Amino acid sequence: MCRCPPSRRAARLAALAGPPCRRAALAPLVALALAQWAMAPAQADSGVAVDTAQANALNPAGLSSARPKDPDGLGLSLNSRSPTGLLYPEPWALRPANMTDSGWDYNASAEFGWLHLNGGFGASKYREYKDLRDGLTLHNFALQAEKPADARFFELYGGGVGREDQYFSLSTGRYNAWRVKAFYSETPHVFTSTYRSLWNGVGSANLTLKPGTGLTAGPTAPATVLITEAAVRAAVAATPDTTLSLVRKKGGVRLDATLSEHWKAYAAYTNENREGARPFGMVFGGGGGAGSMEIPESIDYNTHDLYAGVQWATARTQVNLQASASFFRNHVPTQSIDNAWFVAVPGGVTGVTSFPQGQFALYPDNDAYSLKLEGAHAMPEFFRSRVTALLHATSTRQNDPLLPMVVQPGLLVNGLNGQWNTTASLSKTTAGARIDSRLADLGLALAPTDGLDLRAKLRHYETSNDTAYWACNPLTGQWGRLINNGSAAVTANPAVSAANPPGTTANSWNAAACNLGAVQAMNLVPAAGNINIRNIPYEYTQDNVGASGDWRLTMRQNLSLALERETFRRTHRERDRTWEDKLKLGYVHRDLAGGTLRASFENARRRGSTYNSDPYEEFYSSSMGPLPSLTGANVSSWIHTNDLHRKFDLADRDTRVLNLRFNHALREDVDLGLAWQWKDANYPNSQFGRKGHWRQNSLNADITWQPQPELSVYGFATRQTGSIRQAGDQAGGCALGTTYYFRSDGSIGTGAAGANLTAAQVAAGITTVATSTVTVANWETLCAGTASDNPLFNTGRVWTVRQDDSNTTAGVGLKWDLKRALLDLNYTYTLGRTRFAYTFNPAGLGTVTSGAPTPTQQFVLSLIGDGLPDQVIRTHVIDASLLVPVNKLASVRLLVRHETGKYRDPHYDGVAENRVPFATGNPAAFLDTGAQDFRATAVGVLFQLNW
Amino acid sequence: MRSTTLNPLRWLAWLAALLTAWASAAAAAAPAAYIGEQACIGCHGQENKHFSDTLHAKAFRQNPRNDREGRVCEACHGPGSQHAASPKDKTLLIGFTKNWGTPVDKMNEQCLSCHQGGNRLHWPGSTHAGNKLACSDCHNPMEKLPAGSLLARHSINDTCATCHRQQRSEFNKRSHMPLPEGKITCVDCHNPHGSATKPLLKAENTNNLCYSCHAEKRGPFLWEHAPVRENCANCHSPHGSNHDKLLVAARPYLCQQCHSPSIGHPGNFWNNSNTAASVTKEGPFPNALFPAGANSTMSQRVVNRSCQNCHSQIHGSNHPAGARWQR
Repeated sequence: MCRCPPSRRAARLAALAGPPCRRAALAPLVALALAQWAMAPAQADSGVAVDTAQANALNPAGLSSARPKDPDGLGLSLNSRSPTGLLYPEPWALRPANMTDSGWDYNASAEFGWLHLNGGFGASKYREYKDLRDGLTLHNFALQAEKPADARFFELYGGGVGREDQYFSLSTGRYNAWRVKAFYSETPHVFTSTYRSLWNGVGSANLTLKPGTGLTAGPTAPATVLITEAAVRAAVAATPDTTLSLVRKKGGVRLDATLSEHWKAYAAYTNENREGARPFGMVFGGGGGAGSMEIPESIDYNTHDLYAGVQWATARTQVNLQASASFFRNHVPTQSIDNAWFVAVPGGVTGVTSFPQGQFALYPDNDAYSLKLEGAHAMPEFFRSRVTALLHATSTRQNDPLLPMVVQPGLLVNGLNGQWNTTASLSKTTAGARIDSRLADLGLALAPTDGLDLRAKLRHYETSNDTAYWACNPLTGQWGRLINNGSAAVTANPAVSAANPPGTTANSWNAAACNLGAVQAMNLVPAAGNINIRNIPYEYTQDNVGASGDWRLTMRQNLSLALERETFRRTHRERDRTWEDKLKLGYVHRDLAGGTLRASFENARRRGSTYNSDPYEEFYSSSMGPLPSLTGANVSSWIHTNDLHRKFDLADRDTRVLNLRFNHALREDVDLGLAWQWKDANYPNSQFGRKGHWRQNSLNADITWQPQPELSVYGFATRQTGSIRQAGDQAGGCALGTTYYFRSDGSIGTGAAGANLTAAQVAAGITTVATSTVTVANWETLCAGTASDNPLFNTGRVWTVRQDDSNTTAGVGLKWDLKRALLDLNYTYTLGRTRFAYTFNPAGLGTVTSGAPTPTQQFVLSLIGDGLPDQVIRTHVIDASLLVPVNKLASVRLLVRHETGKYRDPHYDGVAENRVPFATGNPAAFLDTGAQDFRATAVGVLFQLNW
Repeated sequence: MRSTTLNPLRWLAWLAALLTAWASAAAAAAPAAYIGEQACIGCHGQENKHFSDTLHAKAFRQNPRNDREGRVCEACHGPGSQHAASPKDKTLLIGFTKNWGTPVDKMNEQCLSCHQGGNRLHWPGSTHAGNKLACSDCHNPMEKLPAGSLLARHSINDTCATCHRQQRSEFNKRSHMPLPEGKITCVDCHNPHGSATKPLLKAENTNNLCYSCHAEKRGPFLWEHAPVRENCANCHSPHGSNHDKLLVAARPYLCQQCHSPSIGHPGNFWNNSNTAASVTKEGPFPNALFPAGANSTMSQRVVNRSCQNCHSQIHGSNHPAGARWQR
């Protein structure tokens, strides 16, 4: 007997008063014939691969959101809520399906019309990931069909047709049997709209200076640095702004098959093509870089991904097996580019008079293979336990042909012609790079009593790196490399001085023919200790051991505790081992004042083995011979780094994270959500590098009001702050036999010339507080870590930086079915700010002459100030849509999207005014002026057809 | 004097009411039995209207795999005889909303009885499960709202944002991946149903996940950059950043958090006198403060892309001369 309780809506609206069980007249067959608009079909696979949605900025859900809601809602319960307590959105209004004689029922829809843009829509940030243009637009379309008799279905949808953010999706199959999904999607990425390109061939492998710019590749005397600076400046000024961007085009197909009640299988292929160009950097000149130019990097990538798997599931046992392969191909692996700078031929390099081209090895082709097997088995008879296991192996390989050091022939290094422009000068001609990884993960869960769940987990992950490259020329036996296309020789040579026996030349090691042992046996002191002689094949293992418990305090309250130790073992890093102990407490109350509270607190403590600030000896020239001992030898390059500097990924760290989230129904039609996250990562033992507390604080509030199916209103606000601190020590010098005089103002006097205070120092009351003399016996400790008597890393040369981020995001919106029209309004505001503050000692750093700052120096001090200008980003986005039905099939939709953006970034301060800033001897050209402010409005008049 | 004879009609009405109450109580007390979806639709016609357009309804009605699926409504809600007899008693049927009161464990057990394994193999003990989320917190199989998967909101991103508003707001920052623009979703990176990693990543670690879209950075390269090879999140903040390229902090300072060599510029104090604006303030050259031959304080280590003006191959270089990632 039907005993339907009255719906809340029926109780509220007198119009529904009537005999009970009136709704029983709706037969299932009728229900089947009623079909909604086609909605974007299930693309999402939560476990495997990407491309889970096809959409764009104006259709963020894939299809039009301008659709009426069903005034009768979901039936008996208006304002039904999820178990957490959040209101479910009311459903779309249904439209009847069109039936055909073939048995196929279908619905279709389309929105098309005209889009007009006004304002600064060319700005890079406006069109960073979207393509809005004036003109006709097929805004979105959809077709949904099914043949109930055969359980067949077909769904097709898309949007932004013909634009660079277009998307399409097709899905067909048989319910509970098989499904084929295909998709195609484009994503633009605009990097800059103010780039001034001096080259032809952007996007290709060869970039040549444009004729008519007045620039020559590799100018020679009588050209000078100043002359070419002026020429480049003039050429840039005469070049119009252009856009550097790329478009990702990706398509794929996937087959899913339900083989039986317990077996499923899938296989997929995707192909992504990415073409365009983005800002890049090139530098010539010395090792420190002189002659930098912002060039465009050509991008022409293609990635093929294949994956397949089978899944078996029964009530007690589940197994997944998946294999995948990914092939990345770069169709522009090498980029050659004309160099417009005058670059003086450096010492040690002869045989050339200029450097007309630069050449880059862009991202190499690579192949990656993966095999994963995972399973779970439940044993309810044994404390309701469940065991999980996962094995995963991957292999990543790259074997691209290597490029020679330089492009121009005839270059001699230390007088020798090493054929540096051929691959004969390399120790190998292809990369032969490979990294393999293996993962094993075991888990056990059991419930020894009602209300108590226990878990244990073991995880082991390891990588092995088989990449080996020795930087030695087999033709000459010379070690090192020619950077910046020969404009600097960074070769590892023995010292040509009294440090070595008479007759020692820069080429004395060559006779060893790249045999490192033979080189070491010569016992010659290197000229410098920091020249790379081989690559570093980083590897690591990661082990996690953990246990957790979940205790049900009451029906609606749970308390959890989790403990875990994570251990890393790394090769060729500053710490062999780090371990991090983590404790996490969690609490859930699903009926706290009618709402749900979720809270957690996590405390983690990372420590490690002894920190060795220089574990890289074997990879540098310092390993090629004995330590220097000659008076006057600069031993700085053997020190490598500040002993007290800690790399943050290995440093001691204490982390605390607090998470709180509370959802509450303020009324039956109003939701409130509050969330707070507080994170604090403290580096207690790092005096240099990232140090102190890295804090992030995030507060969120959101409210939803849904008084009836036709109206929903939302609002939210997020306030986030963050703070990160660091310290550095600007290196000075450390020369054997030299005495350093440390002044009270932090400055340092060197050698005989610095022994006595200057008159200005005396007048300023500056005194000498300490001295150090660097000797063979003491330099390794004296010059190692920051100290007041260390001439290399001195306390007077310490600087600190603090960056404080703050972000505010807020938004409101409503969707209102006014019967004669459907209004959809959304507004989002974002304000982001980063404040920079620093401290330093001007006398210690030599920014001012100790005791006697010059007017120029004082002016520079005023420029330095106490921080960079704030970095500020402010955006407003208003989205409005008004849909006016004309008849049952057609509606007119007015679409307005108004956006503003303001960007202030100190990195780009002054660039627009002077893209080639004056800097004698250190020319630089910045051809991109960064993000531009904009104000742009897109207006669309669309026709919406539904049939 | 009033008659003492009982009115037969009154007796019959009293008896009918008693029998009805007994019948209901008996039905409620008897083990629950399946009554068929027609009985459900008799009261829940509006729900059925929307349910009929969902994947569950179509699969169960048009091509059920087994008897259970063939029961349609009762496949998920359990046998309905007791509920039909006493609809206000919420303990007699499995419901999936807050007000109905079915324990979350029971709700999830019901869903997992069909959907166990596959992408949900790691659900038990996962972060969401540990926070006592129900399947119906994210999914609403009673209506076809969004782009697939019977989600409870209009899109994947909206579904996640109901709780993860912080992360959703982070995607509004100056540099972000194209989530607000509809080109990626949270589920491109995370498996909300559980994974072998705590952040619910869809790969065994952060880097292999990032390589799903950024395959060019997979390498391996001749000259590797250690923190890059181990974890992209050492330098990047994937949900959004105030800084360029999703960086955790501004350059050059971010790089200087690791690099402090004994020679060269990486450990130098870079500041506001090194911007391109300083040249304008110092010039035109030459002048009294900056005579002929004097350098401005501008440095490419601060301007524009900072360290990456020269060290452009920062993720690793495959050039034999690329030890410093300049080529």
